[in-house]
Amino acid sequence: MKVQVVGCSHHSASIAVRERLAFSPEQTRAALEALRQAFPKVEAVLVSTCNRVELYTATENAAGGPSHRQAAEFLARFHGLESAEIFEYLYQRAGHEAVEHLFAVAASLDSMVVGEPQILAQVKQAYQLATQNESTGPLTHAAFQAAVKVARRVAAETSIHQRRVSVPSVAVADFARQIFERFDDKNTLVIGAGEMAEETLEYLRDEGVHEVTVANRSADRAAELARRWHGRAVPWENLSDALVAADLVIGTTGAEEPVVTLDQFEAVEAARFERPLFVLDLAVPRDFDPAIGDRPGVYLYSIDDLREVCEKNRRRRDKELPAARRIIEQETERFMADMHHRVTGPIIRQLKEGWEKPKEEELWRLWNKLPELDDRARSEIRQSFDRLVNKLLHPPLESLRDESRHGIPHALLDALAKLFQLKD
Amino acid sequence: MLSGVSIVCFAGSYTVAFVLEVTRLLFRSGIRGAAMLGFAGAGLFAHTVFLYHRAVHAAASPLSSERDWYLVAAWLLVGVYLYLTYYHPKTAFGLFVLPLVLGLIGVAAFLADPEPFARGPASRVWGVIHGVSILLAVVAMLVGFAAGLMYLRQSWRLKRKLASHGGLRLPSLEWLQRTNSRALVVSMLMLGLGVLSGIVLNLIRRDDRVPWSDPVVLSTLVMLGWLVVTVGISIFYRPARAGRKVAYLTLMSFVFLVIALGMGLLLDTRHGGQSLPANHKTLSSNTSVNPPTAHCPLPTAHYPLPRAGGLA
Repeated sequence: MKVQVVGCSHHSASIAVRERLAFSPEQTRAALEALRQAFPKVEAVLVSTCNRVELYTATENAAGGPSHRQAAEFLARFHGLESAEIFEYLYQRAGHEAVEHLFAVAASLDSMVVGEPQILAQVKQAYQLATQNESTGPLTHAAFQAAVKVARRVAAETSIHQRRVSVPSVAVADFARQIFERFDDKNTLVIGAGEMAEETLEYLRDEGVHEVTVANRSADRAAELARRWHGRAVPWENLSDALVAADLVIGTTGAEEPVVTLDQFEAVEAARFERPLFVLDLAVPRDFDPAIGDRPGVYLYSIDDLREVCEKNRRRRDKELPAARRIIEQETERFMADMHHRVTGPIIRQLKEGWEKPKEEELWRLWNKLPELDDRARSEIRQSFDRLVNKLLHPPLESLRDESRHGIPHALLDALAKLFQLKD
Repeated sequence: MLSGVSIVCFAGSYTVAFVLEVTRLLFRSGIRGAAMLGFAGAGLFAHTVFLYHRAVHAAASPLSSERDWYLVAAWLLVGVYLYLTYYHPKTAFGLFVLPLVLGLIGVAAFLADPEPFARGPASRVWGVIHGVSILLAVVAMLVGFAAGLMYLRQSWRLKRKLASHGGLRLPSLEWLQRTNSRALVVSMLMLGLGVLSGIVLNLIRRDDRVPWSDPVVLSTLVMLGWLVVTVGISIFYRPARAGRKVAYLTLMSFVFLVIALGMGLLLDTRHGGQSLPANHKTLSSNTSVNPPTAHCPLPTAHYPLPRAGGLA
């Protein structure tokens, strides 16, 4: 049995290299097909995301699959590259390390932003695509299904996935989502046109926001941002009206003074009837007078507030990393032991069948010699024979199980085959 | 075999579920959610069996004693808890709801009168309407109270810009505010229906009517008045519909509820056919009381569910 991964990620290759090696879904299908033609016995899954391109291969016999060099050449050739061009950016892992790597990737421990949840869906998609393409088999089924379970276990037993570390993600997930139950009926007002506003809007759009209003001193820039987000631009003079209608506000202007003072807000407040307002002030200097945050129903967060939370989250997440790694190690050990034990399956089956035949012959002889035995007596005798066979088989099977924990027990399998004259 | 189920059985299960809820604050666990649901579900099963046996073997109308009334309220609240926890397993509803459940069971076990009330057939339908509507009003008020507490905790955290504590995850303010508002309206409507049916009950009685100045009657009317004013304010004064104001209103409603229930439990009242000295009532859990033949099921008393076979 051989499991292997060859690929590159944000750890080993720049985005320029990763872009050259990336696979679209159509290319993935074509690549898996081509790989199967070159190596008919290989099982393969190709994971391609913006941060990694990895080719997982597995074969029952080591000779049936590509070596890591052949896998690297395959990746390069598919994209019309020389393997020498990309070889230094690729890594390869085999056996235990490959499985451990897959589990870590699925559990998002190898991601650029550790704990980001998208990677598990991407791994599942890659596995489904390979399955649809009939490129998977018992080994890849076992490995990828185990990877999904491991990722869920890590998510359940650690809080790594809840610890967001970027300002927009913290603003949306840790605060906005705790204020609003749904976003599709909320109005988001963007004041200014800062870069981080767009990043925050992306997170908000994922939550369902589709009503976006933009206010900017430059009408053209407001119109441009509104066009990109399918929103509407309002004249700067109408900022107060826009604040009345807004549920979420993102401030990103480059103004030297607060754009919304407490006095201005108090005029707006009366018309809002204390409806909850989430204000994300990403501007430096701040766009909103901090005193506005004390008003009822207003939840005001400056970039410093959020950075502090990000830093705390990062520290908490780092504290949980060892626990997550331990889960990965435990699950890898368990998976490998199961896989190794699987290899011993044919020997175990032959052993059992080898003992079953003489048992049945002896019972048959006994029934002929003692025809007076009734059904109850026969049943008792049969059960005794079964117990005897099980007890005799128990020590070698237990030894096989123990040895499987450390790898495929070739020596023991050979010894059993010779001792009991089992076929290969 | 199931007839041996006692209050201790389900109170114990709910206590374990509550302790498991508390451990949310201390550590994470992959199996805790299932264990919590398991214990609360087992408790609800035992609770149901207990109430069923009480109903079947009651000498008078089923589940018509003060004790039963509290136990049914707790039973409904556990149903609400299980529903919410099943659909929102990561939210710590139990930290706020289960203490109320245990409180109701505690009152049922140590303070409430276990004796059922005999009643005439003519008043049975009104008694059912009265008892059920008051029961639902109380459960709605308790749900609103729990939602109000959660709102204030969540709002406090968000105002102080604190990241959410992994174990103490609460619903969004919007959800809590909506639940609060609905709880207020439902409790007002149910309490209004309960009071109206109570008035009818009192009027159709030929003798031994409950005086309108009875402390339980008065406190219930005050509570209804408060709820009507509260809902009226919410309708006509928009800021009262939003934010912490709704939470404060539901907390205040809970205070009125405690006062009304406390009067029924601790004061000398003729409501519910009770007319015992206060010191006697506090020890009433094991005391056999022969109530007057007629009944007057206003708020804190009991609700007479009809026996199988009809309301006639």
